[in-house]
Amino acid sequence: MAVMNGAARRGQAAGAGAGARRPLWKDLIRDRYLYLLLLPGLLLILLFRYGPMYGVVIAFQDYNIYKGISGSEWVGFDQFTRLFNSPDFVEILSNTIIISLYKLAASFTIPIILALLLNELRGVVFKRFAQSVIYLPHFVSWVIFSGIIITFLNPVDGMVNVVIQHFGGSPVDFLGDVRYFRPMLVITDAYKEVGWGTIIYLAAIAGVNAELYEAARIDGATKLRQMWHVTLPAIRPVIVILIILSLANILEAGFQQIFLLYNALVYDVADIIDTYVYRVGIQEANYSYATAAGLFKSAVAMVLILTVNTIVKKSGQEGLW
Amino acid sequence: MRLTRGEKMFSYANGLFFIVLMLIMIYPFWYMVMGSISESDRTAEGGLFLIPAGFSLTAYAAVFQNVSILSGFKVTLITTICGTAIGTFFSATTAYAISRKRLRGGKLFSLLILFTMLFSGGLIPTYLLVKTLHMIDTYWALILPGTMGAWNIFVMVGFFRGIPDELEEAARIDGANDLTIFFQVVLPLSKPVLATVGLFIAVGYWNDFFSSVLYATEKDMWQLQMVLKDLISNTSAAISQAGISVAVQQQVNPFTVKMASIIVSSLPILAVYPFLQKHFVKGALIGSVKG
Repeated sequence: MAVMNGAARRGQAAGAGAGARRPLWKDLIRDRYLYLLLLPGLLLILLFRYGPMYGVVIAFQDYNIYKGISGSEWVGFDQFTRLFNSPDFVEILSNTIIISLYKLAASFTIPIILALLLNELRGVVFKRFAQSVIYLPHFVSWVIFSGIIITFLNPVDGMVNVVIQHFGGSPVDFLGDVRYFRPMLVITDAYKEVGWGTIIYLAAIAGVNAELYEAARIDGATKLRQMWHVTLPAIRPVIVILIILSLANILEAGFQQIFLLYNALVYDVADIIDTYVYRVGIQEANYSYATAAGLFKSAVAMVLILTVNTIVKKSGQEGLW
Repeated sequence: MRLTRGEKMFSYANGLFFIVLMLIMIYPFWYMVMGSISESDRTAEGGLFLIPAGFSLTAYAAVFQNVSILSGFKVTLITTICGTAIGTFFSATTAYAISRKRLRGGKLFSLLILFTMLFSGGLIPTYLLVKTLHMIDTYWALILPGTMGAWNIFVMVGFFRGIPDELEEAARIDGANDLTIFFQVVLPLSKPVLATVGLFIAVGYWNDFFSSVLYATEKDMWQLQMVLKDLISNTSAAISQAGISVAVQQQVNPFTVKMASIIVSSLPILAVYPFLQKHFVKGALIGSVKG
């Protein structure tokens, strides 16, 4: 058995160059159990990932749920024309990008600074404990976290407004005011995710050669200068990769968070592509139109990721795949 | 290594900074715990809840009598257990098959899975698919669409490739086929990666509410997070739910009940978190190495 396998492998290796592979059916029979293992997962992927990819064709139809995809009328790019000509489109696209960039500014800088400082903490136990505590909010669901946010920011008896009033200010409706809503999105997102964001940087910092610090110290460099001249340059590749990746995900502005926190008062500044697709598609049952909006997003996202991956690879780094 | 005065100062300031930061991170949870055990008539004017206002556990009595919350717990437990089991197991089987270099078509299958990371059909087509399959208001809709993640599969492929071929060869000499090799040799060696991937899948299911928004029209198919969302946004729903005894209803107000519900539903994660934190971090790093 083992000998046969070895022979088969040699045959395959030789055949790769000469084009003289074993017949397919022999390999299929030999690896029948591997295919058996592959099958259930692959079927789930085909059904629930590729099924919807086929379903996007309704973006080019006037989909009628009773007639189905085969019976609905084809309308070409009409849905897209409607979408691009709608005043909603400019609004949701700019909201998506603006909110995303705001969040990126916070979620990009704060974790780096936190990681640098965490790395300087003395005492292994204290360091570990501090890490555990600041990672924690990442695992709390957005539903629970939004419950906390809504309770804290309640204009009547929320903790934040109680404090504001205590110091003589007047209460603020943070989640119902177009001036405050986006900053609240950024702050709450940062609160929940910056700790988790430090993990990758901490791992990168741990890999920095300790002799570099020693040399810098002998030259009289302060902690701050060491961070600036030793640590930051050493982890720069990681920083570059992460910022490029977040730029590729710029159309992901945080659906769950916005969905759970927004309300009609702040639609103008808070409605993003995802929330729009949900409202128009699921609540108003404009399936084809909403699918067109979703397809626009998926297509742009794919182009962005492919572009980013090419750039990353060209710059000599290992790409995403 | 001797520290200069400046370095000592920095060290203290840094330590202090993190103590303050930790307090800020913990405070919301503290606030909720204190709020939930306060006497309801003393919570009306709000406050900081550094200490409870009086002491009462009636809010918790109301939570555990609330049929919606109990039903949500049931739905979430079923979806989390089944989803995690199905997701972890079939990700592992698929990943193992792909990780074997001799598999004909392995490249193609990898590409098929990779492509799902680049492009997705989106919300509406997925919703319509589930509807067409007549899965609305069934557990299938809450479990199956999210089971297989490309990322998890590739993490596992990487792990399986790292298992030395000699082990497989040895088992084959003993007459084992691919199935027995997978179940008796590979799986037992893969506990770390199974635990890590399984944990992330489980947290995903536990925190999921949006599947209920889409696929559960009946309240008795709502996941816990969905029940909670309803309860948070709908003040009166918190205490007017059927099942809560009149005696308890008279003693609680929406605030304490909300706080108690949030505590109860986040408790499972908070309880396992300290023990599993290491795995979570490991998972994040496996992902990032690939990225």
